[in-house]
Amino acid sequence: MNRQIRRLGLGLIVCFAALFIRLNQLQVFGAEALETHPINTRSIIEDFGQARGDIITADGVVVATSVEVDGQIERARQYPTGELHAHVTGWYAFNLGASGVERTYNDQLAGNENPVPVTRILDLLGPGDRSADVHLTIRDDIQRAARDALGDRRGSVVALDPSSGAVLAMWSWPSYDPNQLSTLDFDAAQTAWANLTTDAENPLLARTYREIYAPGSTFKVVTAAAGLASGRIGPTSPVFADIADYVAPLTDRPLANFGGAPCGGNLAEVLARSCNTAFAELGAELLGPELMIGTAEGFGFNSAPPIDLPDGVASRFPSDFGAELGVSDLDPRVPLVENTPALAQSSIGQFEVAATPLQMALVAGAVANGGEILAPHTVAEVIADDGELVERAEPTQWQRAMRPEVAETMRELMVGVVTNGTAQSLRIDGLEVGAKTGTAQTITDGPTDDTHAWIIAFAGTPGQPATAAVAVIVEAVPGAGQQTGGSVAAPVALEVLQTMFR
Amino acid sequence: MRRPRTGLQLAGRRRRNTELFLVIVGAAITVVAYVLASLGRFSSIPADVGPFGAFVLGLVGIAHLANRVLAPHADQVLLPIAGLLNGIGWVFIARLDEDLAALQFTWTMLGVIAYVVTLFIVRRSRLLESYRYTFLLGGVLLLLLPLTPVLGQTVNGSRIWVAIGPINFQPGEFAKIALAIFFAAYLVDNRELLSVANFKFGPISLPDPRHLGPLLLAWAASLMVMVLERDLGSSLLFFTLFLVVVWVATERATYLVTGMILFAAGSLVSWRLFSHVQVRIDAWLDPWSDPRGSGFQVIEAAFGIASGGITGQGPGLGDPGRVPVAETDFIFATISEELGLLGGTAVLMAYLLMIGSGLRIAIRSERAFPKLLAVGLTTLLGFQAFIIVAGVIRLLPLTGVTLPFVSYGGSSLLANYVLLALLIRISDEVAERGLDVPVPEPVGATR
Repeated sequence: MNRQIRRLGLGLIVCFAALFIRLNQLQVFGAEALETHPINTRSIIEDFGQARGDIITADGVVVATSVEVDGQIERARQYPTGELHAHVTGWYAFNLGASGVERTYNDQLAGNENPVPVTRILDLLGPGDRSADVHLTIRDDIQRAARDALGDRRGSVVALDPSSGAVLAMWSWPSYDPNQLSTLDFDAAQTAWANLTTDAENPLLARTYREIYAPGSTFKVVTAAAGLASGRIGPTSPVFADIADYVAPLTDRPLANFGGAPCGGNLAEVLARSCNTAFAELGAELLGPELMIGTAEGFGFNSAPPIDLPDGVASRFPSDFGAELGVSDLDPRVPLVENTPALAQSSIGQFEVAATPLQMALVAGAVANGGEILAPHTVAEVIADDGELVERAEPTQWQRAMRPEVAETMRELMVGVVTNGTAQSLRIDGLEVGAKTGTAQTITDGPTDDTHAWIIAFAGTPGQPATAAVAVIVEAVPGAGQQTGGSVAAPVALEVLQTMFR
Repeated sequence: MRRPRTGLQLAGRRRRNTELFLVIVGAAITVVAYVLASLGRFSSIPADVGPFGAFVLGLVGIAHLANRVLAPHADQVLLPIAGLLNGIGWVFIARLDEDLAALQFTWTMLGVIAYVVTLFIVRRSRLLESYRYTFLLGGVLLLLLPLTPVLGQTVNGSRIWVAIGPINFQPGEFAKIALAIFFAAYLVDNRELLSVANFKFGPISLPDPRHLGPLLLAWAASLMVMVLERDLGSSLLFFTLFLVVVWVATERATYLVTGMILFAAGSLVSWRLFSHVQVRIDAWLDPWSDPRGSGFQVIEAAFGIASGGITGQGPGLGDPGRVPVAETDFIFATISEELGLLGGTAVLMAYLLMIGSGLRIAIRSERAFPKLLAVGLTTLLGFQAFIIVAGVIRLLPLTGVTLPFVSYGGSSLLANYVLLALLIRISDEVAERGLDVPVPEPVGATR
């Protein structure tokens, strides 16, 4: 019998060894596959119930916070200001993921990687709360001003500090209430999600940095900068002819000024009065495709600005205008290409040129900041529960759009647009303001009168570097006809700038 | 205590001292686990740490004292391991459900009392041998009890519970021990007869049906009852017990082989016939096909265990409550999740050590009855642990047996303490015969 007993012992050892091997399979070799299995909601629920830091604006308003609730999931994410900061904070929801700052700063908010201050040995053994608060550069008061000024109209407002890259306001309408998505009533959240994603107005889209529009005349700042940088034009000469429309080489379709009126003068004058004919000629026949593309890309076109929000979109400037066919009559250095007519249109911010409001704000900022574009960011600092600084945003250069001398000239020119040009409604006592208006024809299939109203501007204390740059677009309303930058967009920018300097 | 006078007594004293040391270590581990679990869940040290530690030490100390008085030569490892398993199990039950933990504490106290009482009543294993038919009758009656109309309860599709007044218990847990005693006793008498093949049935030689008969009948009746009660785990365990004890007793591998064939045939038939068996097998082979229904438990357990990794999430820091019946059938998933591969392996090692001790006791036993009984009891303990862990980690289909000493469950805990007491009793007898004690050097003492 003893022999059998020994064999029994062996058999049991084999059985338990099989258990051990299987455990290894579950916990070592196959663990990752199980943890990332699509129906494994463990880590989602665990993450979801964890302590999570607040998101706070620069002026101390809490725009996202976690409150403790009873139930399997212990915390609910709430957004006290609702739709006001929705496009910046994003939402943080069960089964609907996260967007905005909630997504890009998820690790810091959840405390996944923040260093643990071990003040007591017990901190090592307990769950530990390492969540940190995210402090935005966004100011609630400026965001409110933007919203109130824009009102019911579809459009976007971007306000930033060009000397640091800090974004002070990013508002676009329509917006949405992230509380509807973060609610723990998951059925309601799903319904809200379905409604929001099928809404034709697309309220979830943060148009400020994710939608592109024809910039229209605001793009002339880029064209002018290209001209000055190349040395082919100066602020006072050449003088552009006072003409009502311009016909580009290789085409016979005329390109008209606003209202069909004649427009001309030196660079300062044509910028102040926003002459299409002058800039079309400048881009097509005095500069040529390479200089235009180079300058546009120097301002950041064709790359997405490195903003700390997800899924940013690049603004577009066509990078190919066709093969060379000859040289320009006005300047033999300038090639004529197959699509010179398109180049002419591009030089006034039409054809296929399309920009995000953020990009255009950065253009204004480049002029205000000596030609240097700093990386835009919405987060200033991340501070842990115990007050310790986890990280701080430092200004970093994104693009060198112009040399400082060119930027200085552009600055004077844009100030001229406010003192005696199309942006006179933007005059503010005690501030030096430079701007450029735009009235962009919408990119549609057929001709239409409906236009986007644009304005880009910078402002600062006279003699000091400018600390504010703004871009406003009020989108075209189908059938409503023309709305000009100076009359429609400028009042919004005025409100915002005044709030910024209050 | 009198000073040990013989080498035997000296050896026994040494064993008990080792046992005391191990018991204290086990209690300390339990208390530390309790503190860690509380830190993990509430970030605070539990207020009742002191009294808790005292209670744990007190309970296992009483059992240890019983050993000193009633079974001084017994194996020194069995009780400490059982106590440790009980303690760790309790910590995790407490971490999951404080009400159940309070109940489990009561059951532990009753278990220790049952342990002491069993040791006291059963002074010699021969006592059990002489009551073999009583145990057979008792065992079968206990098995049949849940099927009675008034007292029996159907719970979760199986009918294994009995309610008498306010008390609910599972008589099947005790029936297994009773029938193990019966089998051991019967085989002692008839093992030679059963080893010899008298009856030719084609190519298979079988022993005389007169002798095989009653055994088969008892086994078949018990199995039928278990099948009627839909207690698959117990059926499997019981079948294994029977097979192993007969094989060891007769030393004939034919029984083992025939038994396995019969088992395979029986499984196939029951799979064809019974939907509840099909559901279990399907959930075992492919739980992903019904992840919210029959596969849910096993899948959630797998996710939980995987999240434990090698070192575990830490006591109190995981989310084991997501797995259904985490305190009973799936307690091992809870431990694996929070203590990781290291913790789970430690638990498996604990059972292996108990099995090793039990089989060692069996081997060293000269007489047949204690030998076979030790084999039977160790088989019950070891295979039950194997079956439920295998079910939880999906090595085998899931069955409803408990993890001995660890799972929540009064009947299971009590029955296992009785089982432990019987093993200790046999161990004491075996050691007392002086056969496993090395001849000591005389320490200059004279009689």
